[in-house]
Amino acid sequence: MRWNCNRNQSGCRKTLRFPCLAAVVSFLSVIEDNDVVVTGWGCVTPLGGDAASTWSRLVSGEGVRGSLGCIPVEGCRVGDGAEAVLPELPWIGAKEVGRLSRASRLALPAAREAMAHAGLLDADGRSVRPLIETSVSTTAGGMELGEAFLRGVWGGSEWRGQAARVARYPTHQQIGDLQRHLGFSGPVMIVANACASGANAIGHAADLIRAGMADMVLAGGYEALCELVFCGFDSLQALSPDACRPFDVDRNGLMLGEGAAFLVIERAGAAKARGAVARARVAGYGHTTDVYHITRPEPAGEPLERAMRQALAKAGMEPGGIGHLNAHGTGTPFNDGAEAAAFARVFGDGIDAVRTTSTKAAIGHTLGAAGAIEAVFCMKALETGELPPQINTATPVAGLANALTRPGDRLQKPAVMSVNLGFGGSNAALVFTKS
Amino acid sequence: MRNGMGICSVGVSCPGGVGVEALLDTAGWPVEGVPEVGRRGAIRQVAKIDCGSEPFNRWRMTPRLRRASPLSHHLIEAVAQCLEARPGIDRARVGVVGAFFLGALEYSVRFYKGLTDDGRRFASPVLFPETVVNSPLSHVVAELGIGGPVYSQTGDTSCWASALRTAQVWLANGDADHVVVVGAEEFNAHELDGLGAVRWFEGGAVLRLAEGAGAVLLGPQGSDQLARITRVVDGFCYRTRGEAVEAARGCLAAIGGGARLADTASTWIRPVVDGLLGGNTVLPLSAGPRYEAFTASCAWNTILATRSAGPVVVPYWGLSHQIGAAEIMC
Repeated sequence: MRWNCNRNQSGCRKTLRFPCLAAVVSFLSVIEDNDVVVTGWGCVTPLGGDAASTWSRLVSGEGVRGSLGCIPVEGCRVGDGAEAVLPELPWIGAKEVGRLSRASRLALPAAREAMAHAGLLDADGRSVRPLIETSVSTTAGGMELGEAFLRGVWGGSEWRGQAARVARYPTHQQIGDLQRHLGFSGPVMIVANACASGANAIGHAADLIRAGMADMVLAGGYEALCELVFCGFDSLQALSPDACRPFDVDRNGLMLGEGAAFLVIERAGAAKARGAVARARVAGYGHTTDVYHITRPEPAGEPLERAMRQALAKAGMEPGGIGHLNAHGTGTPFNDGAEAAAFARVFGDGIDAVRTTSTKAAIGHTLGAAGAIEAVFCMKALETGELPPQINTATPVAGLANALTRPGDRLQKPAVMSVNLGFGGSNAALVFTKS
Repeated sequence: MRNGMGICSVGVSCPGGVGVEALLDTAGWPVEGVPEVGRRGAIRQVAKIDCGSEPFNRWRMTPRLRRASPLSHHLIEAVAQCLEARPGIDRARVGVVGAFFLGALEYSVRFYKGLTDDGRRFASPVLFPETVVNSPLSHVVAELGIGGPVYSQTGDTSCWASALRTAQVWLANGDADHVVVVGAEEFNAHELDGLGAVRWFEGGAVLRLAEGAGAVLLGPQGSDQLARITRVVDGFCYRTRGEAVEAARGCLAAIGGGARLADTASTWIRPVVDGLLGGNTVLPLSAGPRYEAFTASCAWNTILATRSAGPVVVPYWGLSHQIGAAEIMC
């Protein structure tokens, strides 16, 4: 089954050649049963413990950066990042909370918020559906427990406690925590495509539904700051010593952050049957692999361009239909240069109308969670019409001089795009439209 | 799984050599005693691969693999065999799904040891990129000229079943004409400490560890294929060993049918499986002692099942989260 078969069969999109008209028709289009829709979302970020508080601060132009207290960074070139305040988990016993990995502490409230938003939780906060498929992303899982385990082995410390560290460290154990504490089970797909993983997890959820292999998927990503990964980026000298300035000619590196986000993604017909509200549509997904270099994107951004065009094609849209672009925008010289080049080719002369923001300047780069968190920001943009302004960027690169989102800018078209790039050459693009 | 997939070709890199014949009898696999790092006295039998020797060393001078981890070498050998067996297919339309339980363990441990011993300022910028889970598969697609979608998936051993489902999605949606699904693991001595801590060496069957990779090239069902994967089930989750019994029961009921069950259980879940089956006959897939290489073992068992007559159910005992299975029709 092709992504846009219903749309193309109806003829409402494939013949549209005028971007503004395409946008209007998209806005007016009716959801069909085989469309893939979003019925709920939630997130935890350094800006807040839920989607509403995060969004409120994000659109007002706030950002987070400070000395990290959750991991040891003494000796690193850079010691700052964007640390999240771990939400309280009053529905879980204190003893169990103490056993959870930091990643699970972030993922659990985000997933719970998404499921509640989608009407999937009963009065006790347990899933009303015993089986829910999950499509999830992370790069480090419960890495801090793995680090503690290794330090214990090398330090010859007591063996006591090591079993719990091993048992809670792997990525699938955080999904086990979600299943146990939210009351569901079902197939699990964990993708680890570096920093594009979050977008992959959401795109895969939509793919599962398009293929008729699932009716509902809890999709998202999570990432907790950890010593190994922080020191890794520090060793690459990829961390900015002062601020993350996406698409600025003077950008000098990224800021690491942490967080989690989940979306409930469903086949529209199934959502309608259970009385759920279709809040947005997952209209297109593209993903490609860049084999140029293990950590550096191809400078012209051609693989990213292909991913963006794939997503647009699957959505049956022209580039001019996109009103907002949540860019990857890490603030590193290589990434932002390749991205800007890809954006220029995809959007051409219309790029100034695509209000573009990298929210990593505000919450840091959350790696495996980034694509999922940014998808939630896209949901909020579609829901409210507000857009997060680009902060920290004083002198934009030439191609994006008039495209970066300014305070007060509002969404003018009912479609948004989110893109992510990652180590190993992972590229992913998602198109969301209003329902 | 609504639509079956055809297995067009297979690839194997294991301690016994390369190619499927190396899996048939494990008695000749090279074995060495490896001590746990953290506890004196515990020596475990491990079957390892020497990537610097024949026949494993054909990739060591390729640009992307010169500094890559052993995992990358295991992966590329298995994937390359799949593609070399089918020279006519368009590699630009081939997708790859990697399934990993332990992932890039060797370089991750080495990187973290370095920053712990030498100081964070001296963490290695060369090693760090190789610790990223999807780096090994990135090397593979770059060197082999593969142009389709690529996912690196993680989880317990059963993530092999999840990877098979991803392949089915891509084939069903037309994202790729063929998909290589590859399971691969590399050995590091700290693995012994970890598995020792969670008591996988105690009770039940003896746990002998191995490393390597196995790959299957999948396409839509058609002629000239080694076998078909007619069904894949997964998502039978558990948190405790007690819950694992119910999960195993549910998985076997879901895959159902009269197909013979392949003998794939090891370590702590072996007694669980024996108890469930009540002494019913299971189909041995190979001769010699059983080695556990997690997702690589799932791949090897799937490949071995293609050599059996008639339908075979291959269970993927996830060992710490979920259980899945595939039905292979020869």
